[in-house]
Amino acid sequence: MRFVFFIDHLSTWVGKTFAWAILILTLVVSYEVFMRYAMGAPTTWAYDTSYMLYGTLFMMSGAYALAHNAHVRADVVSRYFPTRVQAGLELALYLLFFYPGIFALLFYGWDFFAISYRQNEHSSYTPGGPPIWPYKFVIPACAALLALQGVAEVTRCVMCLMHGKWPRRLGDVEEIAIPINKEAEIKAAQEQSGEPRQ
Amino acid sequence: MSEPEIGILMLGMLIVLIMLGFPIAFTLIAMGIGFGYFAIGDIIFSLLVQRAYGVMSNDVLIAVPLFLFMGYMVERANILDRLFASLQLAARGMPASLAVASLITCALFATATGIVGAVVTLMGLLALPAMLNAGYDKRMSSGVICAGGCLGILIPPSIMLILYGAMAGVSVVRLYAAALIPGLLLAGLYIVYVMGRAMINPKVAPKLPAEKLDVPLGEVYRGLLTSFVPLFVLIMSVLGAILFGLATPHEAAGIGALGAILLAAAYRQLTLARLREAVFLTARTSAMVCWLFVGSWIFSSVFSLLDGHSLIEHWISGMSLTPLQFLLLAQLLIFILGWPLEWTEIIIIFVPIFLPLLHLFGIDPLFFGVLVALNIQTSFLTPPMAMSAFYLKGISPKGIELNDIFIGIAPFLLLVFVAMFILYMVPSIVFWLPGVLYN
Amino acid sequence: AQTTTLRFQSTWPNQDIFHEFAADYVRIVNEMSGGRLRLNLLPAGAVVGALQLQDAVISGALDGGHGVTAYWYGKHKAFSLFGTPPPFGWDAHQFLAWYWTGGGMELYGELLEMLELPLVGYQTGPMPTQALGWFKEPIRSADDLRGLKYRTVGLAADLMREFGAAVTIMGGGDIVPAMDRGLLDGAEFNNPSSDRLLGFPDVSKTWMLRSYHQDCEAFEIIFNRNRHDSLPEEFQAILQYAAKAASSEMYWKAMERYPRDLNGMREQQGVQTYITPDSVLQAQLEAWDKVIENESRDEFFKKVVDHQREYCERVVGYHLEHTTPKEPAYVHFYGKSPTDTSTIL
Ligand code: NA
Ligand code: NA
Repeated sequence: MRFVFFIDHLSTWVGKTFAWAILILTLVVSYEVFMRYAMGAPTTWAYDTSYMLYGTLFMMSGAYALAHNAHVRADVVSRYFPTRVQAGLELALYLLFFYPGIFALLFYGWDFFAISYRQNEHSSYTPGGPPIWPYKFVIPACAALLALQGVAEVTRCVMCLMHGKWPRRLGDVEEIAIPINKEAEIKAAQEQSGEPRQ
Repeated sequence: MSEPEIGILMLGMLIVLIMLGFPIAFTLIAMGIGFGYFAIGDIIFSLLVQRAYGVMSNDVLIAVPLFLFMGYMVERANILDRLFASLQLAARGMPASLAVASLITCALFATATGIVGAVVTLMGLLALPAMLNAGYDKRMSSGVICAGGCLGILIPPSIMLILYGAMAGVSVVRLYAAALIPGLLLAGLYIVYVMGRAMINPKVAPKLPAEKLDVPLGEVYRGLLTSFVPLFVLIMSVLGAILFGLATPHEAAGIGALGAILLAAAYRQLTLARLREAVFLTARTSAMVCWLFVGSWIFSSVFSLLDGHSLIEHWISGMSLTPLQFLLLAQLLIFILGWPLEWTEIIIIFVPIFLPLLHLFGIDPLFFGVLVALNIQTSFLTPPMAMSAFYLKGISPKGIELNDIFIGIAPFLLLVFVAMFILYMVPSIVFWLPGVLYN
Repeated sequence: AQTTTLRFQSTWPNQDIFHEFAADYVRIVNEMSGGRLRLNLLPAGAVVGALQLQDAVISGALDGGHGVTAYWYGKHKAFSLFGTPPPFGWDAHQFLAWYWTGGGMELYGELLEMLELPLVGYQTGPMPTQALGWFKEPIRSADDLRGLKYRTVGLAADLMREFGAAVTIMGGGDIVPAMDRGLLDGAEFNNPSSDRLLGFPDVSKTWMLRSYHQDCEAFEIIFNRNRHDSLPEEFQAILQYAAKAASSEMYWKAMERYPRDLNGMREQQGVQTYITPDSVLQAQLEAWDKVIENESRDEFFKKVVDHQREYCERVVGYHLEHTTPKEPAYVHFYGKSPTDTSTIL
């Protein structure tokens, strides 16, 4: 379990670190608008910077979202399955559904980056734009992190198969700031509508 | 089996396989890879990487994290209670005044945050007890909050319309212009409904006691000025910048996010802890939405490679539908998909299937988009995945059962259909504003 | 007989006349092969976005595609020289002559080899001079371009940057939405028919004709090299000769459609056309000197551009010396100047 939490912490730490890209993105975009309208001098770099910040943000947060079960699921039916069945299914799907794609992003993503690096590829959106290969490196990097987080998830499934209940997850920021005195009621209501995966 | 038939099989299997409850983004990637391997062999792995990169370099989707950030900042600014309090005072003379104030609060707050869960939960904690204490019907009160909380999906600036624009290649600006009046129309229908019901049957929404009605006007204005006006200005400046072509949606979203930070600061709610929470939530939710795009794009690439569209097109044109029948069929399917699924999945996965067919029937993608945006409201309100009702049930006092909530929601569902019908009969509700602004 | 099917995507939206040109090529291939070689044509975005087409063809996800070399200019600036070269006085026909018989094709092959791109490519389809573009206000002097957010492609992007414009490069289908969204203050795409179909008249009424930024251009048809080499030789020949045949067809069709759409935009959509002032054109030529000088620091770029320059000195020189001026004839027979329908700035 310590090893699972270690992976969770790592993914969370990386995700939260790159999360600050949103603040930089906000400032870059605001600066560009200010320069365009107030100074009549749009920047040449804001466009490339913006999509790079946006892409890095969501790609590098992929494992963070996985660690906190934030990737959306259509579990209307499966939430009513017995816990062990859920875990077995989940385990099979990690191997069948998750890893082929993640390995493709890892290995083929590395090639994608390597070719770009060899060509010293630059942005094709702006003349004299920045090199693009560091941005392409984000793909294999986030895939490596996802692959690792996948190990933690697979371990969770195995543990659930063994003990018959889902191991707990790390706490994280709640989507909605809910007063503490209501938490118990919310838990009860969620249980009423089936057993969500933890 | 021919390749297009396999494409259709792929679509059919998707519906079954996502119900296994695995994260949808990875289910889509897996299906894309599986069927893609059949179509083009191991090249599919490179294509996946290219599609991921396509999402990373898409200039429309940049707006998604920025709008999310703006929403979380507004939410963390803790301004909802002031907003509701002041609107409650302002509306105090009207029939069903608390319900009307709730709906307006919902519409405004939902538009600024775009986060249905947050709106329903916070309003459930704030407005629901207020309405119950005043003797309002518990079913109607729940319906008001559930339906009102979804208005932010439709009323621009909304993320849903950005996602639709990115999928359909339709200008987000035009979509915003097109959806504004229908959004206000739906909100208006909701308000007319609660007022009408209160007038016919005052028991569902008793008048406030006289001592509550007697509030000095200055107090009302002061309340509005410090809560309603700042938020309204924030929304209008974001929306106005987009509609008048001063900024792209993502630029306006960036300004909006900065504005929300300043708003939080103005309300003395800006702490490092709150900022961090908003930042982390933005990252987590952006990852969820954008990975869904990665999955959907590889899925639809493979669907194109298999030439599945041509078979669907062939079928649909073989059915010799009228445009109205086609529209009804499409909207019915989207409505049904809304039972088990949430709006993100519907927009990102299924709407692209209908889009290439629109030209066959001469239907404007703009018009279709607004109809979808209306229709998508229902995905939150229909069981078994009625997220809006679940959020409310999560925080509502004992004595309000899920069933009460669903019964309370039903009239609002009906109003969504009424709005769709009005739109169909009077399409100029959609086309008028884009026409005025851009032609 | 057995049919070989190739997956072929264009970089153009469905409704653009360029997608139609791609479809014409596809039709010619299908007809020449008696249906034994079939290209399955998809519009931009079906499998990948316009700017990702080359990557998709290299990886083999697509077998081939229809686009312009300027889109690959992030990989090497010299790509732009093979699609939209500097205005050495040549027109697009002479540019294609350089490519097919003047040594251009060999240099193009060299570039692909240098970058390790397993592609086979043909330049095809001569495009006439492109307009300076769509703006909010007419461009009266070079100074008016300063600080504008402007869309073009390839080396033209570097050229316009010399004028102080903030240049963005984006695919054809994205431009009008971007102008609509306020992302751009000015933009050029290509020709009256495409620009009209893409909806430029909806977002601007000011179109500036004449410019040296893209005085001539041609399309590029590419195939994955392995896939291409695996085809029977007669199919390989068909793919190439179809590119040449489509080249002529494209120009003939363009001559029918472009003038009609230009007038259509003026008469039905209220578009005002302006003739770019000579001072701006002159400034463009001077800016080209700088762009060529800057980029010529790259050895291969210099090799190609020098080759083009020498070719044009000879061929364009011949052409200009030899050809009678056309405008006096037009004025004589029609009693009006061809620019009467525009405002001359
Ligand atoms: Na639902
Ligand atoms: Na051009």
